Amino acid sequence: MQSPPNVFMPGRRDVLYGLGASLGSLALTSLLRGAETGSEERVHHPARAKRCIFLMMEGGPSHIDTFDPKPELTNRHLQAFTRSGEQESAMSSGKRYFVQSPFEFIKAGQCGADICSEWTHLKERVDDICFYRGAQAESVNHPTACYHINTGNRFGGDPGIGSWVTYGLGSQNENLPGFVVLPRSSYPQGGAANWSNGYLPAQFQGTPLRPEGSPILDLNPPKGVSRQRQRANLDLLAKLNQGHLAARPGRSELEARLNSYELAYRMQMEVPDILDLDGESEATREMYGIGQAKTDAFGRKCLLARRLIEKGVRFVQAYAGNWDSHDYIERAHGSLIRSVDRPIAALLKDLKQRGLLDETLVIFCGEFGRTPDNGLRGGGKSYGRDHNAKAMTMWFAGGGTKGGHTVGATDELGAEAVECVHPIRDVHVTLLHLLGLDDNRLTYYHAGRFKQLSQFGGEVIQELIG
Amino acid sequence: MKHPKLPSAILRCAVILTLALPSTLSGEATDGEKLFALHISEILAEKCIACHSRDKDKKLKGKLDLSSRETILNGGESGEVLIPGEARKSLLYLATTWEDEDYEMPPKEADRLSKEQQWKLRDWINAGAPWPDEKRVAELRNEFATGEIVKTSGGLGDDWTNRRYETKKLWAYRPLQVEEVPEGKHPVDWFIRRKLNRLGLSPAPVAAARGLARRLSFGLTGLPPQPTDAKDFAEAHATDPALAVTNYGRKLMATPHYGEHFGRQWLDVARYADSAGFANDYARPNAWRYRDYVVRAFNNDKRYDQFVREQVAGDEIDSSNPEHLIATGFLRMGPWEQTGMSVFRVTRQQWLDDVTDSVGQAFLAHPLQCAKCHDHKFDPIPTRDYYRMMAVFSTTQFAERATPFLKEENKTGFAEATQWILAKQRSYQRQKKTLNERIAKQKKKEIGSAKTGNNNLDPGDEASQARIFKNLSRHRWELDKTKPIAFAVYTGKTIQRKNVSSRTPMPGAPWGEGAMEEDTILTGGDAYTRGDPVRPGPLSVAEHLGGMAPADFTAGQGNRRLALAEWIVDQKNPLTARVMVNRVWSWHFGKGLAGNPNNFGGTGAQPTHPQLLDYLASWFMKNGWSVKKLNELILSSAAYRRSSRHPDPAVVEKKDPKKSFYAIQIPRRLTAEELRDAMLAASGELNRQRGGLPARPDINLEVAMQPRQIMGGTASVYEPDPHPSQRNRRSLYAEKIRGLRDPFLETFNQPGSDKSCELRETSTVAPQALTLFNSEEVQDRALAFAARLLKEGTSDEHVVTRAFALALGRHTTAVELESCLRHWKNATAEERGKRYEPKEFPKGITRTVMAEKTGEPYSFWESMPAYDQYVPDLQRSDVDARTRGLAQVCLVIFNLNEFSYLD
Repeated sequence: MQSPPNVFMPGRRDVLYGLGASLGSLALTSLLRGAETGSEERVHHPARAKRCIFLMMEGGPSHIDTFDPKPELTNRHLQAFTRSGEQESAMSSGKRYFVQSPFEFIKAGQCGADICSEWTHLKERVDDICFYRGAQAESVNHPTACYHINTGNRFGGDPGIGSWVTYGLGSQNENLPGFVVLPRSSYPQGGAANWSNGYLPAQFQGTPLRPEGSPILDLNPPKGVSRQRQRANLDLLAKLNQGHLAARPGRSELEARLNSYELAYRMQMEVPDILDLDGESEATREMYGIGQAKTDAFGRKCLLARRLIEKGVRFVQAYAGNWDSHDYIERAHGSLIRSVDRPIAALLKDLKQRGLLDETLVIFCGEFGRTPDNGLRGGGKSYGRDHNAKAMTMWFAGGGTKGGHTVGATDELGAEAVECVHPIRDVHVTLLHLLGLDDNRLTYYHAGRFKQLSQFGGEVIQELIG
Repeated sequence: MKHPKLPSAILRCAVILTLALPSTLSGEATDGEKLFALHISEILAEKCIACHSRDKDKKLKGKLDLSSRETILNGGESGEVLIPGEARKSLLYLATTWEDEDYEMPPKEADRLSKEQQWKLRDWINAGAPWPDEKRVAELRNEFATGEIVKTSGGLGDDWTNRRYETKKLWAYRPLQVEEVPEGKHPVDWFIRRKLNRLGLSPAPVAAARGLARRLSFGLTGLPPQPTDAKDFAEAHATDPALAVTNYGRKLMATPHYGEHFGRQWLDVARYADSAGFANDYARPNAWRYRDYVVRAFNNDKRYDQFVREQVAGDEIDSSNPEHLIATGFLRMGPWEQTGMSVFRVTRQQWLDDVTDSVGQAFLAHPLQCAKCHDHKFDPIPTRDYYRMMAVFSTTQFAERATPFLKEENKTGFAEATQWILAKQRSYQRQKKTLNERIAKQKKKEIGSAKTGNNNLDPGDEASQARIFKNLSRHRWELDKTKPIAFAVYTGKTIQRKNVSSRTPMPGAPWGEGAMEEDTILTGGDAYTRGDPVRPGPLSVAEHLGGMAPADFTAGQGNRRLALAEWIVDQKNPLTARVMVNRVWSWHFGKGLAGNPNNFGGTGAQPTHPQLLDYLASWFMKNGWSVKKLNELILSSAAYRRSSRHPDPAVVEKKDPKKSFYAIQIPRRLTAEELRDAMLAASGELNRQRGGLPARPDINLEVAMQPRQIMGGTASVYEPDPHPSQRNRRSLYAEKIRGLRDPFLETFNQPGSDKSCELRETSTVAPQALTLFNSEEVQDRALAFAARLLKEGTSDEHVVTRAFALALGRHTTAVELESCLRHWKNATAEERGKRYEPKEFPKGITRTVMAEKTGEPYSFWESMPAYDQYVPDLQRSDVDARTRGLAQVCLVIFNLNEFSYLD
């Protein structure tokens, strides 16, 4: 009687995708149909957001130097102390000193949000933003923390958030994947496992659109192979496959495989079309900072994110970084803020203008925050900060979140979250919740257990919801 | 307390009965009472109480307390929840049906009540919701409970210790039950036919020679049949298929490719990789010796019990035996690193968790991770067992140990590999020198109280300093790959390590420096919360139910792993032989007799043919744990030879929709490695050399050149080996870098090596079509195939016929021949007008990444010494239009369903 009879009572999604069995045609069928066009029947409760743009600030942006001012640090600036303990890594123990923020903070918008004055464009959008200072990570290592924020599991190998979301909601475009990643030319630590489908079926894997070279690997044949040649090859392939297929009736996976070639062929047309930003007005390109050295790279990602969600992509994750400023924080964070400020502000404005912001959840976060103090760097002091899992700022816009609010708080130094404190898994649960998905029910049976993004369940952070 | 509303007429009888009963203490048990004692109390405890009781300092959810009948009747925020006698009006029941979306309990899908449980709850409420006291519950359970209480080392609480298990879910822990097979009957067929007969399903006839030859050859070696072998086999098959299979099977198992293929399957289970993963993803320069050890073990048909002993405790058995030391690499195969950013206690625990879980999965088919934080939810595996197993490893320590090379080990290419590393180092050293000079010249001392970066340096220069420093240290460690060192372990005290960026030597005295780890339960799985002390020990349920002699594992400075290894391979261990024969079965049939080769617990799939599994397990042990003999037994069955096509597919679909009963052989797609190897075999480029240093094949160039972030900078670029023969080796030998997967292999479902993989999955997605149709690697194979065909062919017809023979192992049909010839002709005509320049390969590459210190992009140049001597595969510029035209036909052949699928 201790058995879990419920594990043999599959939910609808498990019926669709098979109990972790080999997928064959089912997987492809849903890929081809782009799954259901209307997500309404797939949600667990009415959704506030239909899609999500996740701005991943890789490296761990400092909350203290962006959205969470700590004037007390001015009093303690360069004050020295030592720290030790079995639970401290080499980087947080030993001789240390406090570091004040080099930046000036202002109160912006009607809501009077705290923001460092380097954000000259974003400060105009704060009334649409819900700042959250209560989140805590569980690791101070980049790859484990990145895996954690991206997949809910610190050690990698589990499905990314975008995989869960597309598994839950399906894609709306039959020629595009539902989960698209816009990485930097160098992938984050831990690599592509940050957007892996894990144990979910392979069509839920995040598809990176690479910023350089071929956007999708092998999207096009090598130089010299014409489209006519490809078509002729595909036609011969179809012809030669026919006999094999006819002798094996009922083998849907073989048919699915044939169809996958046609889909691939169509993707060759569709993808370059989406990536071509020339169709956008000069004003729009300008607004995103495209064509300007500092902002071009991330501006393109933000504009592309908008275009992708307009085409029905469910989950877009855009990477910026590296925010790992152990040194020279003024210079490094200053430069990084300038590289993303204009693009992000433009994205929020553009979404709003087009009436998309209400149904698009925008998230800005890194894998952890930074410490109010620093360790010795090359034997001397340096204005920088180490990794901090206990405090960070992330923010949300649109998609049913409470714009113009700041939720949660850190202590007077910014060392630790003290108000409305929640682990990352609760952030994940909240994200799914806004998309109409219940983490406790968005499960997949694998290796003897129903698995879920939060691993073991979590709670919705109600304070973030408008 | 509210009075229950009047029950409906239909139910009145039952309620009156129930209400009357609490007074009859005579012992007559009502259905309601029984339901409570046997089911409801547990459902409440397991599914509801965590949120709905005042016990803990947790918030009482919905102000509803479900810990007693009285508090339930008090209701909660949503009002009344229980109306005895009226389940359809009681939220307590209705919420479990999830019919009303506002009330769905328990809220987690994973905890949701089964239909059966919902009905029990309904019936109990309709029976008046009686709530007998504890003593009575105990009496009732004693009298009526089905299922079994299982003896283990004990749960964290009595409830768990005394809970009952469905008998059928305990199959894996019971001693083998070996049935006699009548004289003259093949045991595999005896058991399988019995089931088929019962189902009234007749099996498919024997497979056609061609499909069977491919099945055998790929199944035993991962490679397509040699055309001459296929021909011989077809002839033999015509007279005696059974004998033909046996002979060809033997022949294949005698080739070294057998060990490569079976080894590859074991390496999936062992989570093999050549790098450490995570932030630095350092190379594990000696891991390849473990890979080759595994290949040798299968080729030499090493007894499986010995194979287990060596991997778990080789060093403790005989540390002077190189094979034994190399074998222990298994224990360290998971991703692991210790950097300045990590806490040693945490990373040490991470390894202990990985090794406990991996040993559980690989040898005992038990993912033990499920018992790390709490007693296992479904299986009789207490948390105590998890920590007893972990205690086996608490004196296991990492070391790169001096281990001489065996004469069987392949030392080819040592000099070239070292030269390449030295060339990389020299180049970095040169750059470092110039850089340091420039920095010394330009650097202005910062005058402030702390550095802000106002030092007059180019942002890239400082970043390059860090990057070069890191890559020099990576390459320094990499030099170990040709040294007589094993990636191994020893037994001793735990030495704290802050930053592991080079080989870990053996300490002079293993029991000198360091600390003895405390062996305790870690409460809630938290490395810092110690619970009860434990002694090293095995899975207690297997010991008790399996009728094994109680194990007394040594503790202290004893050989703990040896004790575990001996326990695992004990002939009476109910799990070990079953687990391995099930793996071997799954390697032949694409699925296990028990459906989850890594999970024999109650949540894994039950065996479809338990008697066969037990028979094979026993047979395996009696036959010296020989995997080759086991293969022969399986291969000689009619079940193995069966066609994948049934004369009456509709009947199969109806009677065996899941294809569990072996009326047909289940067709399968080639694995990623087989697919690549098969193309190399067809094109004639495959270098069949065995073992040795990891090969670096050509991979998608964009991925190879893409900057890869590591701690402190960007890892050196991926450079393929210079010579085609080095690159075009079997995929098994391709360097497996956790942070840099070969996109071709990954796309075709090669699993990542973070966790043990029990069986390959097969998905069909569009990127597979893109890579198989468009990638340079496949196009190169097609071109080489075309060149080979033209070299060997006598006429156009002969060329096309031979293409089919080599790639698909069969003749062409007239239509196929005609279509291919026409395609070739047209493509050749197109190619005639084209000119191709030879591909240029750069000797270095400039890449742009972000500088960490300044947050600004910088570019740097890196040399690629492998390209100094790089010899490309055959290129389009090397051949004429006719060859290029034929390559288009070859490309199509590689893309055929028939090429990728086995019948």
